[in-house]
Amino acid sequence: MAQESLDATAMKQAAPPRRRGLPFNVALVLPAQLTVLAVVLCPTLIVLWLSITDWQPTSGVTWYQAEPVWHWNFYDLYFDDRFIGALLRTILVVCVCVALELAIAIGLALLFLEEWPWRKLAVSAVILPMMIVPVDAANAFFMLFNERGPINHIISLVIGEAFEFSWLADPDWALLPIMLAEIWQWTPLMFLLVLTGLMNLPENQIRAAIVLGASPARIFFRVMLPLMAPVIAIALLVRSIETFKIFDPVYILTRGGPGAATETISMFMYNGAFVYFRMGYIAAAGLLVLIVVISICLALSKPLKRHHG
Amino acid sequence: MSSDKPWLVVLKRSAVILSMVIAFFPIFWLVSTSLKPFDEWANWPPIWITDRPTLQNYRIVFFPEAAREFAAAQEGSLDYKVSGSAWKSFQDSAIISTLATFFSVVFGTLAAYSVVRFRTGGENYPFQFLTVRMFPPIAVVVPMVAMFSVLKLSDTYFGLILAYTAFTLPFSIWMIRSFIEDVPAELEGAAMIHGMGQFKAFLTVTLPLIRGGVLSTALFIFILNWSEFLFALVLTSGDVVTITIQVANYVSASSGKLYGVQAAMGSVSTLPVILFGYIIQRHLVRGLTFGAIKR
Amino acid sequence: MPSGNGNNSGKTRRRFLQGTAATAGLAALAPSFMMRPRRASAATLDDVHMEAAKAAKELAAGRSVTLTIMQPSGSLGNVKPVADKFTEETGIAIEYVEVPLGEINQKVLLEAVSKTGSFDIALPATFGIPDLAESGILVNLDQYAAKHEPEDMQQDALYATGDYYKGNLYGYQTDGDTYVMFYHKDWLENADENKAFSDKHGYALKVPDTWEELDAMMAHFHRPDKGMYGGALFRTQFFIAWEWWVRFHAKGYFPLDDDLNPQINNDAGVKALEELVAASKTLYPGARTNGLFENFEAFGEGDKFCNIGWGGTQKFLNSDKSKIKGRMAHGPTPGGMVDGKLIKTPYFNWGWNYVVSSVSPEPEIAYLFTLYACSPAMSTVAVRDPGGYFDPFRGAHYKDAKITETYSKPFLDAHEDSMRNSIPDLYLKGQGEYFDELRVNLTAADVGEKSPKEALDDTAAAWTRITRRMGKRSQKVQWDFLKSIYPAGVRDILT
Repeated sequence: MAQESLDATAMKQAAPPRRRGLPFNVALVLPAQLTVLAVVLCPTLIVLWLSITDWQPTSGVTWYQAEPVWHWNFYDLYFDDRFIGALLRTILVVCVCVALELAIAIGLALLFLEEWPWRKLAVSAVILPMMIVPVDAANAFFMLFNERGPINHIISLVIGEAFEFSWLADPDWALLPIMLAEIWQWTPLMFLLVLTGLMNLPENQIRAAIVLGASPARIFFRVMLPLMAPVIAIALLVRSIETFKIFDPVYILTRGGPGAATETISMFMYNGAFVYFRMGYIAAAGLLVLIVVISICLALSKPLKRHHG
Repeated sequence: MSSDKPWLVVLKRSAVILSMVIAFFPIFWLVSTSLKPFDEWANWPPIWITDRPTLQNYRIVFFPEAAREFAAAQEGSLDYKVSGSAWKSFQDSAIISTLATFFSVVFGTLAAYSVVRFRTGGENYPFQFLTVRMFPPIAVVVPMVAMFSVLKLSDTYFGLILAYTAFTLPFSIWMIRSFIEDVPAELEGAAMIHGMGQFKAFLTVTLPLIRGGVLSTALFIFILNWSEFLFALVLTSGDVVTITIQVANYVSASSGKLYGVQAAMGSVSTLPVILFGYIIQRHLVRGLTFGAIKR
Repeated sequence: MPSGNGNNSGKTRRRFLQGTAATAGLAALAPSFMMRPRRASAATLDDVHMEAAKAAKELAAGRSVTLTIMQPSGSLGNVKPVADKFTEETGIAIEYVEVPLGEINQKVLLEAVSKTGSFDIALPATFGIPDLAESGILVNLDQYAAKHEPEDMQQDALYATGDYYKGNLYGYQTDGDTYVMFYHKDWLENADENKAFSDKHGYALKVPDTWEELDAMMAHFHRPDKGMYGGALFRTQFFIAWEWWVRFHAKGYFPLDDDLNPQINNDAGVKALEELVAASKTLYPGARTNGLFENFEAFGEGDKFCNIGWGGTQKFLNSDKSKIKGRMAHGPTPGGMVDGKLIKTPYFNWGWNYVVSSVSPEPEIAYLFTLYACSPAMSTVAVRDPGGYFDPFRGAHYKDAKITETYSKPFLDAHEDSMRNSIPDLYLKGQGEYFDELRVNLTAADVGEKSPKEALDDTAAAWTRITRRMGKRSQKVQWDFLKSIYPAGVRDILT
């Protein structure tokens, strides 16, 4: 790191000084920066505007001509059971999915730690789910959990009587297939991260612990896990952010239904904006979500920063 | 932990096999269903592997005549119908994903180079690109629809390409940045001593060295673009159809009862992702953690 | 969760009114939508399709014009034969954009925002027309109708209520989607059953006239241990509101009063809901989860007394896949006694409607296509498609041999009768929001999470909020208009 900066400084000095026009290095980041500004900054400004209006396409005016209602959208959101419910449900989904993904991933990674025949091939096989287009994965789960799908069939075989339950139509159970689809698809990623972390652990510390006669469990919890902390932190961070946005499986499996029983925050906002067309109101919800997500990310991004040096 | 008892080894191997079965099962079901004839789609008990495999479902996906023939044969059940062809969705997805990947990787390489070698914008500058990825896309689609309507970008290739480029830039910048960091700056310095311009030194010395990395990044971003759903859903309205939209259309056209056709479309549309995914398996971790974890 | 305060949180805060400009001048609305300016058109009902094609051909002369139709998936069989004829006669090419049928209204409304010009003509569900008209995406067809529409075009259609919004024409109904009842004829005519039933109730089994009679018959036939079920009515969240809507109207009330205060939570509304919840006990086991296909397949088993549905239901039940083919009696939805008079309130709850996009560069040609397609001659061709889902909606359709073969005569009689007297959906801006509140609350009452009174009170509170947000004055203009075009026999009785 220090070495590299020195080199960079040396290079800067070596480069001919540019005085006129755009500095070369700034010109290089410009295409990327402008694209991001166009697609992120502009919409953010528009969100700020829309969130203080109650604009709906059915109001008959264009969005920039909408009449402001100031804080009323936020006031309404505060009392909107459906919004609060979606937010809490999303947090639940994030906690359950990410925790289970991590637990399964650690267990799986330990199985793959030592060398055994076909190990590489087995790794490739186990990570297949993350190679599937999420919409297609959701489509597959839609069929699995169908009333007449294989899951019900397996249950029938186990309990010995016909079991035809429509998972997706039951408000109490519909969230389960959605979460299972999410866990199925993204545990492999968590597994790869954990496995990478485990393989990169300094071997001598573990060997030392073995020589000292520590039990495997003790070695795992006292030596390996602490060493893995940064990797696990990154894995949790990345997966939490992604899971918070969960949309594809919800859309394909239930559209947030029955009722609003499986509405996550993304689904709530999609329904609000593109089924009820309450654009201003949803913009306000979007703004709140943005603020929450960005502040959480800023707080949590420390490990990422530290790891990158 | 190396000298395990035999029963423990058996247990461990069984666990591995079980996890493989779980990993494969939904895909197996997708492929198996895609080969079933119509009357077996909703059988109870479900048919696990059909005795009468057929390619009819794939024909319905790709040939409008087959779709119409099928629809005509199902009268009475109003909605078991599809009349369009999925070809267009593959074509559109290929165009959009390829171009968006190209722009993302080119812009990303330039920016990453600038960030690594010049420390442009200081230590925290690259993080502002990361925030793009933390944005829940749903929070920006409403204003994007509004913005695109003013700019006349709704339902165009360019609109989706723009959106995809922006939302994959954090990956391309951070991934390529981590590759460039692996190449010592002295190599470029040496080339410059021989009179090469700074940027030319990057192009002729560093870029060939990270060629594999850039290619992996490109494939990785192509996968993301190919799989993207939400933007395609709200920013298109019929002229442009991506494969994810086509899948969703099949599901909602019949309240999800077109099992065989849905499965056929699903199996085919996910193939490129599986293929590219395994090609870049080595770099997946790096990609999905923005280059934070290297292998 | 701050749920307790949610219901009356916004009582005093919204004062702004949207769309005030649009409502100006509507006070002078004619009492009936039929009274429109004298028409310049020389076309008659019999040759309107030829006149429309001729006019379109002249307008497109010397240019190559292509019209794009956005249609719900599965309707191509209805649309294409007509469109092919149109192309043949005018040289105007027609292309299609197909979208999932549950999403077409959203897609059309989205077009009001994004204005991509991806279609000229669309086929949204009729209940969405108020929202679409307010968004500005629909062309007001009055000017073209004055020029091209034959005088009795709309009187000939059995149901045209949904074509108008605030007195203006926005589309042509092209699908007769009214609720009709299906009964097991063998059971109705069984002598033993008749005796048992009349001993208890004092009247014989028949096609019931009132909901009370229907509920009594369903209870009578419901013997799950013997594999007999009272009914196959819908109890999923999406469908449940429709049955309640009929039950409620049959008790003699409009859903809103003249000042747009909800009346749905009055005693009649609560009673209607209590009866609906009680009737749930006499339905077959799948009622809570089964959608349309499962529903008619279930009734097709032949072990249920009654079912509710549309033309599409009959198409299945009258096919060889159904065990009850030829063993059915049909009737309009049951009614109720209001002030000693029997009223029936059959209900038009879906139906596809041809509209023209305001983004279309060729609105007049697009209009002429919709006129062409809805003309008696051409709409008969469209309705004929056995695999499609446009149901009869003009007198001519009921006389067509092919259509009669598909649907059967007894069904068509009940259907025609229902079509003429159908009450409309709540054709107000925000229809989806009003109805979703209703759906969620009715379901909650049906599964016992709320009492009927609670459920309807909550709905009424939500409706008041929605009305305020939508702009009460603007909503009142349409509500006054809508009430004026309820079918005559019903309008005078409802309060």
